[in-house]
Amino acid sequence: MPSKNPLPPKENAFFKRILKCYEQKQYKNGLKFAKQILANPKFSEHGETMAMKGLTLNCLGKKEEAYDFVRRGLRNDLTSHVCWHVYGLLQRSDRKYDEAIKCYRNALKWDKDNLQILRDLSLLQIQMRDIEGYRETRYQLLALRPGQRASWIGYAMAYHLLKDYDMCLKILEEFRKTQTPKSFDYEHSELLLYQNMVMQEAGMYQEAMEHFRTYDKQIVDKLYIQETLASLYLQLGQPEKAAEINKALISRNPENWSYYQKYEKAMGLEGESEERLKLYTEILEKHPRASMPKCLPLTFVTGDVFHKSIDEFLKKALRKGQYLFVSIKSIYKDPSKVKIIEDLVLSYVKNLKEEGKFDSNGEVESVTVLLWTYYFLAQHFDHLNNIEKALEYINLGIEHTPLLIELYVLKAKIYKHAGDTGKAVEMMDEAQSLDTADRCINSKCAKYMLRANQIQEAADMCSKFTREGISAVENLNEMQCMWFQTECAFAYKRLGKWGEALKKCHEIDRHFTEIIEDQFDFHTYCMRKMTLRSYVGLLRLEDSLRGHAFFSRIALLAAEIYLHLHDHPLTEGDNDGDLNSENLTPSELKKIKRKQRKAQKKAELEREKQKAEQEKRDQNKNKTTDGELDGPKEEELVPDKLARVEDPLEQAIYFLKPLQNLSANCVDVHVKAYEIYSRKGKLLLMLQSIKRGVAADRFDPHFHICLIHFLQYVKGKGELVEPTKTVIEQEMKKIYEGKTALQLNTDFLSRNMNSLPHRLAGARMMYNLDNSRQKEAISIATTLESDIKGVTIKNCVDVLESLGRGDVGQCEQEASDYQSQCYRRFPLATAFCPHMQTQASEKEESSSGNPSNEILVNGSSAKHEVELDVC
Amino acid sequence: MNIRCATPNDLMNMQHCNLLCLPENYQMKYYFYHGLSWPQLSYVAEDQSGTIVGYVLAKMEEDPEDSVPHGHITSLAVKRSHRRLGLAQKLMDQASRAMVENFKAQYVSLHVRKSNRAALHLYTETLKFSISEIEPKYYADGEDAYAMRRDLSEFKEKCDSDGDISATKGFFEAREPVKQEQ
Repeated sequence: MPSKNPLPPKENAFFKRILKCYEQKQYKNGLKFAKQILANPKFSEHGETMAMKGLTLNCLGKKEEAYDFVRRGLRNDLTSHVCWHVYGLLQRSDRKYDEAIKCYRNALKWDKDNLQILRDLSLLQIQMRDIEGYRETRYQLLALRPGQRASWIGYAMAYHLLKDYDMCLKILEEFRKTQTPKSFDYEHSELLLYQNMVMQEAGMYQEAMEHFRTYDKQIVDKLYIQETLASLYLQLGQPEKAAEINKALISRNPENWSYYQKYEKAMGLEGESEERLKLYTEILEKHPRASMPKCLPLTFVTGDVFHKSIDEFLKKALRKGQYLFVSIKSIYKDPSKVKIIEDLVLSYVKNLKEEGKFDSNGEVESVTVLLWTYYFLAQHFDHLNNIEKALEYINLGIEHTPLLIELYVLKAKIYKHAGDTGKAVEMMDEAQSLDTADRCINSKCAKYMLRANQIQEAADMCSKFTREGISAVENLNEMQCMWFQTECAFAYKRLGKWGEALKKCHEIDRHFTEIIEDQFDFHTYCMRKMTLRSYVGLLRLEDSLRGHAFFSRIALLAAEIYLHLHDHPLTEGDNDGDLNSENLTPSELKKIKRKQRKAQKKAELEREKQKAEQEKRDQNKNKTTDGELDGPKEEELVPDKLARVEDPLEQAIYFLKPLQNLSANCVDVHVKAYEIYSRKGKLLLMLQSIKRGVAADRFDPHFHICLIHFLQYVKGKGELVEPTKTVIEQEMKKIYEGKTALQLNTDFLSRNMNSLPHRLAGARMMYNLDNSRQKEAISIATTLESDIKGVTIKNCVDVLESLGRGDVGQCEQEASDYQSQCYRRFPLATAFCPHMQTQASEKEESSSGNPSNEILVNGSSAKHEVELDVC
Repeated sequence: MNIRCATPNDLMNMQHCNLLCLPENYQMKYYFYHGLSWPQLSYVAEDQSGTIVGYVLAKMEEDPEDSVPHGHITSLAVKRSHRRLGLAQKLMDQASRAMVENFKAQYVSLHVRKSNRAALHLYTETLKFSISEIEPKYYADGEDAYAMRRDLSEFKEKCDSDGDISATKGFFEAREPVKQEQ
């Protein structure tokens, strides 16, 4: 399309060279050529040249100038597709995809068949999931370039994503007909498999079967054919064929659990029948080293058969010194089997000690067998929460072989479960020191340190395995090491360093943004490679990416912190991190302050060193790649700024939003959403959260508090205006069935009387609805009878904290009694240690002035500390 | 432990496992690159709850110098808590077979730090690799690497000779009656 202002040949040649320089990333040369055109007074305002100059400047990191030139260029030549395209590219580089799409559309107005612009547009459309738009663009590309295979694939894929399977399959089939596959053609094979996958998704099982029948020789991925055929046969009512294939698959990979399951399902095998066991003996004969056929039957055989097989299994594994426990953990769901295991292994210990044999008529075993037996028993008792026995056996093990790392790892774990994080760190550090070359143990040690709030120590520990010349924390961020950042965030939160904790949450959020960006290159790449099944898998994964536990954990944490900051905004003098001084003694405070100052100094030094190094690196980079920047420069995350943000509730919503859809069955999400909207006074959004919470888990203790709060809140609102009134009334009727708050709470309590966290929630509401029932409420919250479930350290700490907050009114004596009671129950748990008692009551005093008529929705210390699995 | 071919959904959890266990780490995009270029080649080992306890991240060499198609192990890890269960070998066996079946790989290669004696032992003793050369300063910190190889003809034979339905010969040839039933 001719520009409004065409250049004469000489200048035009310069212009072409600008384009070339841009493509070859020779930006500085590009600028020189632009200058040669713009220096000529006749063309000093030449639009396309100015636009290209701007785009080139952008690549050199000069964003503002870039926008200035591109915009001016565009203004000078509004009918130039080049100017519009350039403006689009500029916006794209800033990840303003919606704006970029508009620009490309404008560019196409002036040059509707421009392939490059159409391709760029289609990429943005698929990235933004504008599938309708994508289909249109792909149609144009197909019309313009019917000879290219990407044209066909892209167009077909658009229909697939729109679930128009018929159209998709028609296009794919037309395309397939034009192909002449080579004798061993991976790409063609992938195309056929994609075709087949679409058929399956369309529910066309018969057609998919026929398709395999026709093309199976052209398909190289034999495993996928077999796996798919097995499920197709099942769908089509031919289970015996499905069974046959699954049996062959087991032979191919005897460690795949689902093949066994599918075989049994197809054969209708259940219980402990001979028939069912036959499969496992058969496989074991063929694959004596396989462990699945040994472990799986243990889950379904019972009685004497179980006794005999587990006896054999345990002996064999203990002889080999295998990490036995992880292999049979699944059996522990059945208490009768646990009993059998315990009795057996205890008898082994006895016999091994006395005669060196598992049982009196066996052979003499090597001495290490006793060691592995101790190790197993320690794991066994730890799993059953019998800390005393677990420690007894782990200590016997250490006595037997003092330098085995695994023993210290396990001892650390036992202390962790016992509630003594300090001791746990000590043990893990010991383990780590015995093998400093193993990152697994290093990571584990760092994690334990973070659990004990030793953040600097943990970073130092990690630095043994991170790149030199850059701080560990920075390198771990670069490597998207989310477990470390998550644990840091929780540690900072426990220390009351809200800003630092938020910084970690935002860093993780940015990883997720980055991972969504990562798709971009694969839109073209996969069409070239033909790996379309995986590509569709990627698109689907990205669509629900923030549903991953790595995100939901920190999103809930961030929401919680922002809620706290909304309720308790930092004042001028507050320093991030000095907030929790109320529960420390003066000497401890001093010590911590000294430590903090030291750490600060160290961090400053470190930062300066890094800055210098970074600058050096940047310089080198400039030399080699002409300073190209990848993606927009991100705003620096400053903890203090984050902690003083103006709109904490909006920030909380930002983190929570993705979870409302992607983790809809997680009730915590709706509890947090409710807490946010109740602070904003958004009645209908509160209702929405209540409805979603009811669907997720109506009887969750935290949600129960929201339910009652909402009922009281609506009552307190008085007469509502239409149409809100009708909506609220209708919905409330469905949820509450006309019950009062008191009835609701009574029902809740009687229904969940044997669960500790439920008792706490019920007790809090009981007191809240009727102050005169304080005694009763406290007694419900603090009872630790043996038939109550959920008596864990964490839950008991929750109760203690709740008492301290005054959730059930003033109750210093009761809190202190409760603490002693917990201490007896968990003698190693530092949380209940008596010398901490004075602090606990100090804390109470300072925070018990909670106006009791108002329900404080769940307070702000609800903990969501799910175990993040390390090694 | 369950051993199966990795899907795009596994890649993030593989990265997690890698960061815990190994000093060589990669950003997500590199995992995507593997999963989307050679979806058949990477395998995971998971426990009953679906947590990844080991993985092999594998690829084909894109422009092999020797023009012989061969696979390459980018990364292989098993959590410490799940070692001695033979998982590394089982993962490698599955990945190797997939390389042969899908890409006609003749051998598989990998790099290992000269100082990493535990890994060297695993590769030479258990996984039947042998050192093909030393690559000086292969790692970012300046350490040398052993380039190692394992011949895959054993797997080729396996693919060809498996008389049952998992053979490459074609499932339907032996199964004509199916057609008549319908």
